[in-house]
Amino acid sequence: MFGAMRTAHAPARLTARLVGGLLLALVGGCARRGGCTGNYCGTLLIAATGEPDVLIPPVSELASTRDVVDQVFLKLADLGPSGNTIGDEDFQPVLAQRWEWAGPVTLVFHLDPRARWQDGRPVRAADVEFTYHVYTDSLVNSPFRSALRRVSAVTARDSLTAVFRFREPYPEMFFDAVYQVRILPSHLLRSIPRDQWRTAAFGRAPVGDGPYRFIRWKAGESLELAADSTFFLGRPHVRRVIWRFTPSLPVAVTQVLAGDADAVEVLVTPDNVKRVQADSALATYPYKGGAYGYLGFNLAAPGDSTQDHPLFGERDLRRALVMAVVFGDLAKVPPGPMSQLWWIWDPETRQLPHDSAQAAHLLTRLGWVDSAGQGVRQRAGQRLAFHVLVPTTSAARRVYARLLQETFRAMGVDVALDEVDYPLFVERAHTGRFDALVNVWTTDPTPSSGVPQTWTQAGLGRSNYQRYANPAFDSLVDRAISAPTREPARRLWRRAIELLNQDAPAVFLFAPQNIAALPRRFANVTIRPDSWLALLRTWRVPADRLTDRDRVER
Amino acid sequence: MLAWLVRRLAASIATVLAVVTLTFFLIHLAHGTPCGPSDGPPVPPEVCAGLRRQFGLDQPLIVQYGRYLRALLHGEFGVSFAQHRPVSAAFRDAMPNTLVLAGAALLVDFAVGLALGVYQAARARRFGDIALGNAALFLNSMPTFWLGLVLMLVFGLWLHWLPVGGMNDPARCPRVDTLDCLADLLRHLVLPALTLGLVGAAGTARYQRAATLDVIGQDYVRTARAKGLRERRVWLHHILRNALLPFITLVGLAFPFLLTGAVLVEWVFAWPGMGWLSVNAVLSRDYPMVTAAALVASVMVALGNLLADVLYVVADPRIGVRGEASSVG
Repeated sequence: MFGAMRTAHAPARLTARLVGGLLLALVGGCARRGGCTGNYCGTLLIAATGEPDVLIPPVSELASTRDVVDQVFLKLADLGPSGNTIGDEDFQPVLAQRWEWAGPVTLVFHLDPRARWQDGRPVRAADVEFTYHVYTDSLVNSPFRSALRRVSAVTARDSLTAVFRFREPYPEMFFDAVYQVRILPSHLLRSIPRDQWRTAAFGRAPVGDGPYRFIRWKAGESLELAADSTFFLGRPHVRRVIWRFTPSLPVAVTQVLAGDADAVEVLVTPDNVKRVQADSALATYPYKGGAYGYLGFNLAAPGDSTQDHPLFGERDLRRALVMAVVFGDLAKVPPGPMSQLWWIWDPETRQLPHDSAQAAHLLTRLGWVDSAGQGVRQRAGQRLAFHVLVPTTSAARRVYARLLQETFRAMGVDVALDEVDYPLFVERAHTGRFDALVNVWTTDPTPSSGVPQTWTQAGLGRSNYQRYANPAFDSLVDRAISAPTREPARRLWRRAIELLNQDAPAVFLFAPQNIAALPRRFANVTIRPDSWLALLRTWRVPADRLTDRDRVER
Repeated sequence: MLAWLVRRLAASIATVLAVVTLTFFLIHLAHGTPCGPSDGPPVPPEVCAGLRRQFGLDQPLIVQYGRYLRALLHGEFGVSFAQHRPVSAAFRDAMPNTLVLAGAALLVDFAVGLALGVYQAARARRFGDIALGNAALFLNSMPTFWLGLVLMLVFGLWLHWLPVGGMNDPARCPRVDTLDCLADLLRHLVLPALTLGLVGAAGTARYQRAATLDVIGQDYVRTARAKGLRERRVWLHHILRNALLPFITLVGLAFPFLLTGAVLVEWVFAWPGMGWLSVNAVLSRDYPMVTAAALVASVMVALGNLLADVLYVVADPRIGVRGEASSVG
C-alpha cells in the first residue's frame, strides 16, 4: 500500500523537483565557478551588427564574413603593422614561410610544412593553385576576381612551392597576390560545381587551416569558433570566439554595456563612446577608419549620362558649393577622397577654402542672386535648387544631409532630401538618377583599387556615381599606381587629389576614426585597422582576470 | 458543416494565392537592387550581373512567376539571395523562435488580460476598476518598442536582473539541452514576452471587461441568482462561460500575430525570429524570402480566421455554420 502511494506521488515529486530546479536556475542565473583555468581560457563574445552570408572567402565580400573567415583560413602572407601595400618588405609570413622573386614577374612562395587543414591533411601548393583558379573562375563569380586580373598563372612547382606569374611588373604585385586571397582546401572543395559555391554546405560549416576551427552557426543568433590548440604558428590564448548577431548598433552597444556581450567593433557615435567610457569594466581602442563620406554632385543630367547636369555641369558652381560648407568638429574631414587607412592620407593636401563669404561672392559673380527676395538664388529664371539622395539606413548620413541642407539654405540654395532605403539608394546611384548624394565608401588598404573604381573614367558605369571625368586626373592616378616606391607615389597621389579638389566633384565630409570597445580583462589587444580581428590570436585574458564566461566548458 | 468547411477552405486558398501573387509582383516591381552589401566595398557590376543570372532575375517577370508557382507546388520557397540557403531552412530556424516568443507573449496577454477584465467587471465603476482601467489605457496606448526600451533600461542596464537581448547566452547555452539552459532561455524570454504581452493584455482586459459586463446584465444571470445558486457557481457557469465567447475571436485573430506581430520587439531585443528575418529580407530585396514570409503570414491569417469560426460554432451551437443564430427554445 505504501509502495503504491509512493508510486502515485512520484510524478508530483518529479515535477516539483523540475520546477524547483528551474526556479533555482532562474534565480541563480549563470553564477558558477570551476571549468577552464590557466592562460588559454578566454572567451570573446562579440556583439555584431552584420551576419556572414556564406563562409567561403571567394564568394562573399561582406566585412562580417571577412572577420570570421580570417580566423579560419590563412593567407600566404598578410599586411604588416605599417599598412604599406607597395613591395613586399612590410608583409608578414603566414601560410608561406618565405618567398622570393624569380625575375620581375615571377613570385615564388614556400609553404610552411607544418601547416595542416583542420581535418589533418597537410596544406599543399596544389591548394594554392586550386584557390587561384577558383578566385578567377567566372562561374564562381568572385567579387575579388578583378584583384587577380594581372596574375597570369599560379602553378605548384612541388608540394610546398607555389609560383605566381604576373602579366607585367607593378608596385603592388605582392599585395594583389596575397591580400584578398585565403587559401582553400582543394580536397574538400574540388567536387563542388563552380556555379554552386554560394549555396554549398561547406559554406555553413567550413574546414580551414587557421588559428580557429568552426564549431557552430545558428543563423540569426550566433556563430562560434574554437581555438585550434595545434595551430602551427602558436596556440591562440582566447579559447572561444563567438559572434552574437544584433539588428543594429544601439542594440549591440546596449548588450556590451549590460555585460551580455564583450566587444563591439565600432562605436560610431560620440554618445556611444561616452557611454562605454563611463563603464569602468570596458576599455576603448581607437584605430584608423577605412571609410570616408562625401556629398557627390552628379556631373551628368539625371538619367542621361550624355548631357551635362543643368547645375553641376558648371565647375565654378560646384566650387562655390564646396566652399559654402564650413565644418564644425563633427568628425575628421578628409583632404580629398580618402580614408584614414590609406597611406596617402595627407592633411597638407591643398583643398578649396571652406569660406561661406567667398562662396556667396562667387555665386553672385556667377549670376546666382536672390532677386525675388524669396531666400533662393536664381539665374535666368532657374532656381538654385536640387535634391540630395540619402539612404534611410544610415543615421550618420541623414544627419549630414540635414546639416548640408541648412548650410545651403543660409546661402540661398534650396535643397530637398530624397531619403530612400538602401537598395533603392544603390539603384538610383548606379543609374545616375540623382542630383547629389551623400555616399560612403569603405576602402581596402590601398588607394590603387578604390580611387580608380570611384573617381576615374574607368569607374564610369561602375562606382563613379558622380560621373567625374578628367583625363589629367586619370593620368596622374595611373602614374601614382605605377610608381615603384612609396615617396614618388605619394607625391603623385597628392597632385592627383589636389587636381580633383580643384574640380570640386564632391564635398568631402568625414573620414572617421574607429573606436572599438572591449572589456579590460583582455590584454595584448592590438587592432590592425584594415581588419580589426586580424591579430586576435595574440590577444589574451590573463589567468587572474578570468570570468565565468571565460571558464565555462561546453 | 463539411460543405461549409470546404467552402471556407477554398476561399482561404484563393486569398493566400492572391496575397502571394500580389507580393511577388510588388516586391519585384519595387525599385532597388538585391545586389550590393551595406558594410563592404562596392560589388562589381559584372558580379551583380552574374548573380542576377544565377537567381533567374534576368528572365521576364511572368516567367519568374511561373517558375515560382511551380516550385511552390513542390513545396519549395526558393533560395534566399542574402543568406544563400533555402528559404525553408531560414524559416525552420526562425519560426520556432517566434513561436516561443509569441506563445509566451500570448500567455501573458490572455492570462493578465482576462484576469484583469473579469476583476474590473466584478468591481465595475468602483475605485479598483477605474484605476486599473486607466492603467490599462496608459499601457495600451504605449508604443511596444518604447515599453521594451524602458524595461531593458530598468531590468537590464540598471538592475542587471535580466539579459537585454538574444534568446540565450551563446557562451554558456548555445543549445537548450539542460535544465540550466532552459532557465537561460526563460530569462532571455522575460523582457520581450512582457513587452509584447503587457501591451496586448491592456487591450484584452478592456475587451473582456466589456464582454463580462454585458453578460452580467443578462436575464439568465439574474435568474440563476434568483434560484439561489452560490455566487461562485453563477460566475463560473453562467457569467464566465458566456463572457469568454468573444474571447475566442481574439484567440483566432491572435494566431497570425504569432508570426508577424513581434517585428519591433524582435528588433529591439535581437530575438532571431520571423519578424527580424522579414524586415531584413525587405531591406535587402531578398525576393524569395519576402514572398515566402507573406505566404506564411497569409496562411496564418486564413487559418486563424477559420479556427475562430470553427471554435465559435463548437462553443455556441446556437450559431449556425452560415453565421446565423439558429432558433433557441
